[in-house]
Amino acid sequence: MHNAIDQLLESANQVILGKPRQVKLALCCLLAHGHLLIEDIPGVGKTTLAHTLAKLLGLNYQRIQFTSDILPADIIGASVFDAKNHEFKFHPGPVFNQMVLADEINRATPKAQSAMLEAMEERQVTIEGKTYPLPLPFFVIATQNPSHQIGTFPLPESQLDRFLMRIELGYPDHQAERQLLMGKNRHQLCESLPVQLPSLQLQRIQLAVTEVHVSAALLDYCQAIIKYTRESPDYHCGLSPRAGLALLTAAKAWSFMDRRDAVIPEDIQAVLAAVTGHRLRAGSTQSEAIVAPILANVAVH
Amino acid sequence: MKPELDKNILIFLLSSVGLIVLPHIYHIPAAVFGFFGLLFSWRFIGIWKQKWLPNKPVIFIAVVCGIALLYNQHQGLFGRDAGTQLFIIALGLKLMEIKTERDLYLITYFAFIVAASQFLYEQSILMTAYILLICCVLLATLVYINSGKAQTLSAIKTAVIITVQALPIALALFILFPRIDAPKWMLLNDPHQARAGLSDSMEPGSISDLGGSDELVFRVKFASAIPPPRLRYWRGPVLTYTDGKRWTQIAFQKPMRSPVVTGRAYQYKLLMEPQDKNWIFALDMPVEIPSPLTISSAYQLSAVDRSDNRTEYDLISYTDYNTGPINLGEYKTATQLPSEPSDKIKQLVAQLHGFDSAPDNFINRLLNHFRVEDFHYTLTPPLIEENPIENFLFKTRYGFCSHYASAFVYLMRVAHIPARVVTGYQGGELNKAGDFLEIRQADAHAWAEVWLNDKGWVRVDPTAAIAPERIEQSSSIDWHTTYGIAAANVPAYNWLKQARQLWGKVDYNWQRWVINYDNKSQANFLSSFGINDLKTLTYWMIAVIASITAVLCWFLLYHKSKSADKVLSSYNRFCKKLVKHGLIRNAGEGAKDYAERVKTKLPAQTADIDQITAVFIKLRFGRIVTGEDLQSLKRLVDLFRA
Repeated sequence: MHNAIDQLLESANQVILGKPRQVKLALCCLLAHGHLLIEDIPGVGKTTLAHTLAKLLGLNYQRIQFTSDILPADIIGASVFDAKNHEFKFHPGPVFNQMVLADEINRATPKAQSAMLEAMEERQVTIEGKTYPLPLPFFVIATQNPSHQIGTFPLPESQLDRFLMRIELGYPDHQAERQLLMGKNRHQLCESLPVQLPSLQLQRIQLAVTEVHVSAALLDYCQAIIKYTRESPDYHCGLSPRAGLALLTAAKAWSFMDRRDAVIPEDIQAVLAAVTGHRLRAGSTQSEAIVAPILANVAVH
Repeated sequence: MKPELDKNILIFLLSSVGLIVLPHIYHIPAAVFGFFGLLFSWRFIGIWKQKWLPNKPVIFIAVVCGIALLYNQHQGLFGRDAGTQLFIIALGLKLMEIKTERDLYLITYFAFIVAASQFLYEQSILMTAYILLICCVLLATLVYINSGKAQTLSAIKTAVIITVQALPIALALFILFPRIDAPKWMLLNDPHQARAGLSDSMEPGSISDLGGSDELVFRVKFASAIPPPRLRYWRGPVLTYTDGKRWTQIAFQKPMRSPVVTGRAYQYKLLMEPQDKNWIFALDMPVEIPSPLTISSAYQLSAVDRSDNRTEYDLISYTDYNTGPINLGEYKTATQLPSEPSDKIKQLVAQLHGFDSAPDNFINRLLNHFRVEDFHYTLTPPLIEENPIENFLFKTRYGFCSHYASAFVYLMRVAHIPARVVTGYQGGELNKAGDFLEIRQADAHAWAEVWLNDKGWVRVDPTAAIAPERIEQSSSIDWHTTYGIAAANVPAYNWLKQARQLWGKVDYNWQRWVINYDNKSQANFLSSFGINDLKTLTYWMIAVIASITAVLCWFLLYHKSKSADKVLSSYNRFCKKLVKHGLIRNAGEGAKDYAERVKTKLPAQTADIDQITAVFIKLRFGRIVTGEDLQSLKRLVDLFRA
């Protein structure tokens, strides 16, 4: 299992150049049953990352481009009258795919956003009293433009909470950029990727991740972090219990990827920025900067 | 054979099995023990020479041999001996087929049963300690099997802790659990084992074998005062018939005539050690006889059956007594002589006015004769093959109690005075620690009894005439002379004596409170707490065991949190060692990150740092934590030199 994960990361890193940490976090989020939010300016490779992961995992992939006039039915599907059989028939929308890329989610109106986010949370869609389960595994990568850009409806905290992680990609460094400019078309490269982790194996890994041991000493550390965010003046809103659970889940996946069967504080620290950055509204949009005081001040025993 | 079965585990297991079976060497036949020993050593060699281990057909033959051996010994499986030997043989055979871990467990449980079977034979305090020790070793074996790379010492430590934790519950169950009398069939077909002791016949010289034996025969605890040494005669078999050399009991029985007693009564508890015969050595003269005991016409007490266990009796004796007249039959047997006495002997009796004066005078003259003539008391007399009495009286003149007693009785009979030899024990050592008398084999004695017209049977001890210190001193002179410890005031000897007495007290109390704790004394003991019926007893048992468990749980949980602290303190010691290199661990820095940072500064120590960090992380955050990990963390940190 671990070898497959390593190979997958290696292949992804050949497509997404110079971003091994973000790639690893994205996979970690997937292994922890979570949805991923990528926030960055257009053109830094958000879509490519989503596409690459979908290809490597062999998942059905669908992109939904969010615009200001998109309707919930455009996302989840609608019942259409079938003239031949004289009945309404449900036409599933693009959300009925294993991997959904919700591109520029903050361009859509809150109504459309909430339709998407509800599907994400429930992992099922209910239309006209009938419930349709979404496929398994179900994984949403949403991208979001920085909220200072024109024509955006920022996601409220409650909805940001639905994402296990938020990562920023950022510009590639000098060498990666050069390699990118010299290399082949990313899209073609993406298409040629083989499946590294079939979905059955992925589900097995997701199950194994939940089995990772969490010791009392680690829980102490986890709780110390939560307590710190609630008491520190740096944050006007501390981490919720759900955030605490998310932190632990992500840390478990991270420690599993590091081939360990027990979570250690370093795992928490590794995922802390991605998991809590978007939950702690602290002025800065840079997750790393937001959690820096936590890392420095909460003691590891 | 799975390669995973560690050699160390096998060595550990086999050693504990060996230790368990070893004490059985006294109880089981040599053939069975030899068979076990053969299998055991085969298996032991097999640890290194795996190819030499038997295959299935050979094991089958071994099983058949074992069954045959067992059948040959017992023709069945019932009884203590057969059952124990069955277990021992089965244990030996099971050793031959250790294939999986399950076999190891099975052998360990088997070994526990064999260890318990020791108690069917011996219940002494030392054996109990030994069995407890063995239980520790067995538990250590289990600990060893279960923890992948255990260390012997820490496994034993864990086992000892487990045993100590189990002791309070064992104690509670011992006191409270309803006692059941062991059914008789468990003691079936025990071979009678020979033990040293008095025999039912006497040839002058035969008692010298006992002279040096320090073995305890019985203990006596008096309710009030202890009689003085000169009255401490413990009555055993009475020998009436003689063929000139040998003195034996006679089967003739007549209704016992109760002696008329005067003076003070001595009330005492007599605790007999296991013995070969059913004789009970009461203080001369016993009157109150507890129900299972019988008294012979010669006033010798005996139990219904001989006992392999220690038994306690409540007795009352009087030292002043008058047995009254005797009848003709008794007179005849008490004056019986093998043949016409020789002229020399007749001459001696005549010389001491045996034929022409009152018996009292003759007795005194004869005792005086022993005293003034050249007679000597010794435990190592020369052998007298022919005419022992005549040769003793006129030639060798070296002898001990039985020589003097037999010669005295013979001469009495020549003078037509009814007389007989009484064997038993005389004296006894006062255990000051426990305030009871200890009577050992070395106190074996023989004296004479003479029937006088108005006094009945009167005790006369000719040995007292020749060696009064043998009688007067409370400790046995024989023991001193035999072992050459003449000076009883040597400090080392006193110290030894005190230690022996203290041990005697411990042993006596063990017997009284532990071994004799049967259903009767349990009922007595429990009713003093108001526990009279089974229901109350059950409630008590549950309550006591639950509270012991609660205390243990609290202790263990408390201890566990303390051990977590130990992990941290060990790791902090490691961090402290690195401080001098300027490597201070930041508040929010995990052990792994810190290790990476330290390694860049101290590349030479990479292996040590990695090991310490790995063990620490395992202990602090890992799923399975063992005591050995903490030990190894401590050791690694101790060894770490930054």
